[in-house]
Amino acid sequence: MRVWDRLSLQARLGLLYAVLLIFSVVLVGCYSYWNIWQLFISNKSSHLRAQAKPIIEHWLIDNDLAKPDNPHLKLTHQNAFILARDLTSRNTVAIVLSRKGDIIANGKRLPEEPEAPIPDKQYFRRALSGENEVTYRSQVNGKPVLVMLIPLRPQPASSQIFGVIQISTLLTDIKEILFRHGAMLVSLVAIILILGIVTGFWLIGVSLKDLQGLLTSCHQISKGNFSQWVPVKNRRDEIGQLATSFNQMLEKLEATFASQQRFVVNAAHELMTPLTGLRGSLEVLLRGAQDDPSAMARLSKGMYKEVNRLIRLCEQLLGLSQLESSSNVHKQPIILSDFFNEFKADAQVLAGGRSLAIQQGPYVKVSADPDLLKQILFNLLSNALRYSPTETPVVIRWKLLPKQVEIQVSDQGQGMDAETLSHIFEPFYQGKATVVSGDKGIGLGLSLTKSMVEAHEGTIRIESEPGKGTTVSFTLPLE
Amino acid sequence: MSMDKNNKIKILVIEDDPVITDFLCTGLKYEGYEVTSRTAGKAGLDALQQTTFDLIILDVMLPDIDGFEVCRRIRDRGSDIPILILTVKKEISDRVKGLDSGADDYLTKHFSFDELLARIRALLRRRGKISKNRKLQADAIVLNLETREVSRKGKRIDLTPTEFGLLELFMRHPHRVFTRETLLNRVLGYDYDGGTNIIDVHISHLRNKLGDRPPRLIRTIYAVGYAFYPEETGT
Ligand SMILES: Nc1ncnc2c1ncn2[C@@H]1O[C@H](COP(=O)(O)OP(=O)(O)OP(=O)(O)O)[C@@H](O)[C@H]1O
Ligand SMILES: [Mg+2]
Repeated sequence: MRVWDRLSLQARLGLLYAVLLIFSVVLVGCYSYWNIWQLFISNKSSHLRAQAKPIIEHWLIDNDLAKPDNPHLKLTHQNAFILARDLTSRNTVAIVLSRKGDIIANGKRLPEEPEAPIPDKQYFRRALSGENEVTYRSQVNGKPVLVMLIPLRPQPASSQIFGVIQISTLLTDIKEILFRHGAMLVSLVAIILILGIVTGFWLIGVSLKDLQGLLTSCHQISKGNFSQWVPVKNRRDEIGQLATSFNQMLEKLEATFASQQRFVVNAAHELMTPLTGLRGSLEVLLRGAQDDPSAMARLSKGMYKEVNRLIRLCEQLLGLSQLESSSNVHKQPIILSDFFNEFKADAQVLAGGRSLAIQQGPYVKVSADPDLLKQILFNLLSNALRYSPTETPVVIRWKLLPKQVEIQVSDQGQGMDAETLSHIFEPFYQGKATVVSGDKGIGLGLSLTKSMVEAHEGTIRIESEPGKGTTVSFTLPLE
Repeated sequence: MSMDKNNKIKILVIEDDPVITDFLCTGLKYEGYEVTSRTAGKAGLDALQQTTFDLIILDVMLPDIDGFEVCRRIRDRGSDIPILILTVKKEISDRVKGLDSGADDYLTKHFSFDELLARIRALLRRRGKISKNRKLQADAIVLNLETREVSRKGKRIDLTPTEFGLLELFMRHPHRVFTRETLLNRVLGYDYDGGTNIIDVHISHLRNKLGDRPPRLIRTIYAVGYAFYPEETGT
């Protein structure tokens, strides 16, 4: 079994195919050999019967034995010998047996005439009991013979049996024919096998060639070369389908890989700006600005800000990666109105002195992770506050949809144009909106929010008009 | 190097990140430049029309018009003021664009301040804003920055690299009081871990080699550090 497992697919298929081919061809060969043998035998026996029948009838009449109900029916050596003689020829010899099984007459006289086999008791009894033709095979001096026992009756329908005649004929000629036939069969089988196995291996090789191509591509890909595509020649068979879906997978993989790389590059750049600020400030301080208390105070405040920005960035990056596994989302039933009553205090801190309204909607119970829900709302609120003038209000409301609830955060600020909207969920993308209050962002807020909403099987959409304001709506599933 | 008190070199910084702007301004002022800063491209262009500057430090990512555009507009006005562009690496392919649009040099963000200073000096020297002669002179002391040779009243003096660094610093900033900590950072590097006493040792060696007797050129400022007071400012 271990050797079998180690073989290549082509070798395995080829072997299976060859075994199957050999088995079926040999089976067909044996059957046809046996069939021909049977045909010859039945042919021979009917021939014997056809020969014997008229001779026996004539003999009955000639010897006055054909009269029905003749109680003096008697086989004598003379009349029995005539019959045996008549039925004996170059290949065939007949003997006449009495009811007791004794040989009354033997037709063999010339040396070239074959020997008669010793009568078989079992078959003899069957003949005596009335079976008209008992045919069986036997051997005489190592040569195969066909033996036929015919009971002797005065009339064909009569139940009176006064003897049995045994006719035996040599089967050597049949054997010879069969041997020749067999030799032909064997060579035919050999030719078929060789041709079949060779073309089989070739066919398997051809159909597995694309699989080989697939394998080569896989090797390339495992080395990190995603541009190595599998050639798709025959699109309809299974290997073609495999190649097609393989290519599709490759395309997806390549895209994911590219976006991952873009993400890392963007993240590194985003880290670079605060780090430049930190490094520059430190250098300037160490070069001597530390001797000036006011410069010291200013620069250290700036550095503190930069460090906070770095921490926020790292937190958001961690948040994004955490969402990639659903085990980090702990959903529980939440009654929205209760949640918002609690959330109000936190939101008010974020809003500072600005007007923030939370409009109570219908009573609903949603299934969500409360921490994530809070973060979603914080992100949307901070955007609304950051990109709208201080005197305009920010509103949160919710409404019931079939099977889900939609929560909206809207502002009356700068809004966004179509170009910005089309990129808004890309990590690190920042629009042209100017920051009205608070610090400059990083561009991760909305992409993080989208991931968080999607972790709840919800959807998010943004309606915005430049100069008028923005409404962000997201859905959560009902409990 | 001539850096007349009343004729300081004027630098305009156009950068929107407040922390970067802050350290640039503080550091450059400390180095003796006069610095003005603007946080947007248009404001920067306006400032250029009101005052003449000797050099511009320009960020690429500005909230209104990008740095390259600012650069192009300055050149379109026929000004040949040296422009140093600050970029984040992702705009590196833009660096060619930056030099095309008329900038003289660029630095990628995460640059070190020392490198920035070196680039500024190189740009100013190229435009003849500071003397091409790489020598500092004060009180008959001549310090050749190229050959790193020092002489006083024509006599050659052999200095260790640390002593040379100290003397160069003093001669670049006459009358400025340096704390021992600052001297340590600037001469031995920011990551030097030893105590500041080492500075006293180096200063005393330097004084001996210069033949510096009271009233000294390099004076000890009690409880603070050291300062350099040449009797006559060199040419
Ligand atoms: N309510 C809004 N009104 C106008 N513009 C908005 C609004 N919300 C988002 N934007 C635009 O979309 C961009 C991306 O927003 P996002 O929240 O992803 O990043 P950010 O706010 O810049 O940074 P942070 O990662 O700190 O949230 C913003 O830079 C801004 O231009
Ligand atoms: Mg945001």
